Amino acid sequence: MTNKLNKYEKIEFLGEGQFATVYKARDVDTDNIVAVKKIKLGSRQEAQDGINRTALREIKLLQELHHLNIIGLLDVFGHMSNVSLVFDFMDTDLEVIIKDNTIILTTANIKSYILQTLQGLEYLHLNWILHRDLKPNNLLVNANGVLKVGDFGLAKLYGSPNRINTHQVVTRWYRPPELLFGAKQYGTCIDMWAVGCILAELLLRVPLFPGVSDLDQLTKIFGVFGNPTEENWPGVRGLSDYVDFKPFTPIPLKSIFTAAGDDLLDLIEGLLVLSPIGRRNCTESLKMAFFSNKPAPTAGPKLPLPQSLRKAREAQKPTLKRKLLDKMEGDILAKRLVF
Amino acid sequence: MDDFICPRCRTSKFQNPSMKMMVNVCGHGLCESCVDLLFLKGSGSCPECRIPLRRNNFRVQLFEDSAVEKEVDIRKRVLRDYNKREEDFATLQEYNDYLEEVETIIFNLTNDIDIVNTNKRIEQYKRDNKEQILKSKGRLGREEYEMEEMLEFEKQREEERKKVIQLEEVEIKKKKIREKEALIDELMFSNADAKNILDTFAQQAQQEKKEEEEEEVRKIPGKATQFSTGIQFGRQSHSTFLPVPTDEGPIYVYKPLEFDSDGPKPPNDIDIVEKHFLNHVRSETDTERAGGYKANIACLRALQDAMMGLFHSKKSIKS
Repeated sequence: MTNKLNKYEKIEFLGEGQFATVYKARDVDTDNIVAVKKIKLGSRQEAQDGINRTALREIKLLQELHHLNIIGLLDVFGHMSNVSLVFDFMDTDLEVIIKDNTIILTTANIKSYILQTLQGLEYLHLNWILHRDLKPNNLLVNANGVLKVGDFGLAKLYGSPNRINTHQVVTRWYRPPELLFGAKQYGTCIDMWAVGCILAELLLRVPLFPGVSDLDQLTKIFGVFGNPTEENWPGVRGLSDYVDFKPFTPIPLKSIFTAAGDDLLDLIEGLLVLSPIGRRNCTESLKMAFFSNKPAPTAGPKLPLPQSLRKAREAQKPTLKRKLLDKMEGDILAKRLVF
Repeated sequence: MDDFICPRCRTSKFQNPSMKMMVNVCGHGLCESCVDLLFLKGSGSCPECRIPLRRNNFRVQLFEDSAVEKEVDIRKRVLRDYNKREEDFATLQEYNDYLEEVETIIFNLTNDIDIVNTNKRIEQYKRDNKEQILKSKGRLGREEYEMEEMLEFEKQREEERKKVIQLEEVEIKKKKIREKEALIDELMFSNADAKNILDTFAQQAQQEKKEEEEEEVRKIPGKATQFSTGIQFGRQSHSTFLPVPTDEGPIYVYKPLEFDSDGPKPPNDIDIVEKHFLNHVRSETDTERAGGYKANIACLRALQDAMMGLFHSKKSIKS
């Protein structure tokens, strides 16, 4: 245990969440940069039920998942009463990229991001795992343009017929209508809705449905797609929290995404469907024309980097003056050797 | 000129030619530096009528009469909500009544008549026509945008045409000079009768003129087709596309994910329906289906779980 603790050398503090603090660290043996997530155990009283549920989920699921587009859990170690998880280090996330208004996202860029998201998600879904908290903030991107799905604190196995799941999952803006209506049994469709919302956000650069409450969220959704009916969503009235809304007239997606091509609109229309059964799954989405059409998805290293990262990179590059100075010092050293 | 005296610092355009008058919603003016001073403390009120003002409502005064300035401002604000158009009304009479009402409101607000009631009226109208207002706004925005695009396009065409005409003119001038030189050369060195030479050149020039005219006649219909709106729109959408970057990765081709299940291949989602696997699983209720759950999911997972690792042996671990 102790040697594992010394294996990682803390570089800097990255951030703090509700249950954990995250540090950037260096693996002493391999010199790799990693992210160490130290789970907060809290007081003795809070800790008596054992380790935090979200951490447990991450350890349980991520240990067995290995995919390019899924965050890699490299190591887990304990120290005193703490548990620390070691992850791949990721430079930024999609939220930062979306909010950085110096970045212009082209269709090819968006294609690349969504493609990687869907590939990671397909792997998850085929392994019977729901992510349940997809949002731009949880889609991590590194400097090489590789996108990895992260934060498995809410992830769960699905597909058992009698298990009741909670509907209080997924950040509200990305939560599908069936969860807002209180569905207890659901499938992969909840993640697909979130992907649709993220795709929309990549295009619009603002959240598509920024609801301030659960009811407001539904109002925003129906304001675009119109009210659900028994025809377009069979059984919707049977959902436990179903309420009638005042009638909305649907708006064509073309007028919201004015810059999107037809193949892209098809993809959005397949993902953002009110009825969960009608939504396309990952495999179906990946086979859609949008991904195989031109322009080809941008190659990873060519994807745009947020401003902060670009600046840091430029600072790292040795300036001309520095180079000259180094050269001169070299000369001086050489002279000294001669004399 | 006398109107341009700042009520606060008494500077006039005469004393300071670079002074800029600003005006706010109340219609009272103030010079630029006084505006800066007024908001040093964060908020300020009009030095003449003492109503609280917001800094970003200050604009450069466009009209000499500040009352006109005020009216323009109010009109802008009112028309943002009263944005119905003739098409929205059944009869002309109704439309006229509506316009009359809008003018009354603007007049009242500009001249401080019955402000409380007028504002109430606007609020009422806003509440009653919320959806209508939003819809019209969207429509206006789109129409304005399209209009702008069309204007831009026309401007481009105009410039192109100008360039072509300039080129043509230069060409014609050059040609004339060349012809003249040819004529002089001919007159200088040829042995033929000077009159004959002149005649032939004159004939040539006339013929060329005719040809040019014919050519122009032919050109005109071509131009006309380019300006028909249908074609314009088609071209428009093309020209607004971003340039396609060429240095990109390979085109994506879907490859199905493969798993080493260490067991027999479990039936897929078509098999479980056709081979009646589904009959052995509790089918989903309507509510469950509405939530996105189907019996197929449970059936597939159970079958996969059952078959995974059936070929597993100690050997396979070692290898």
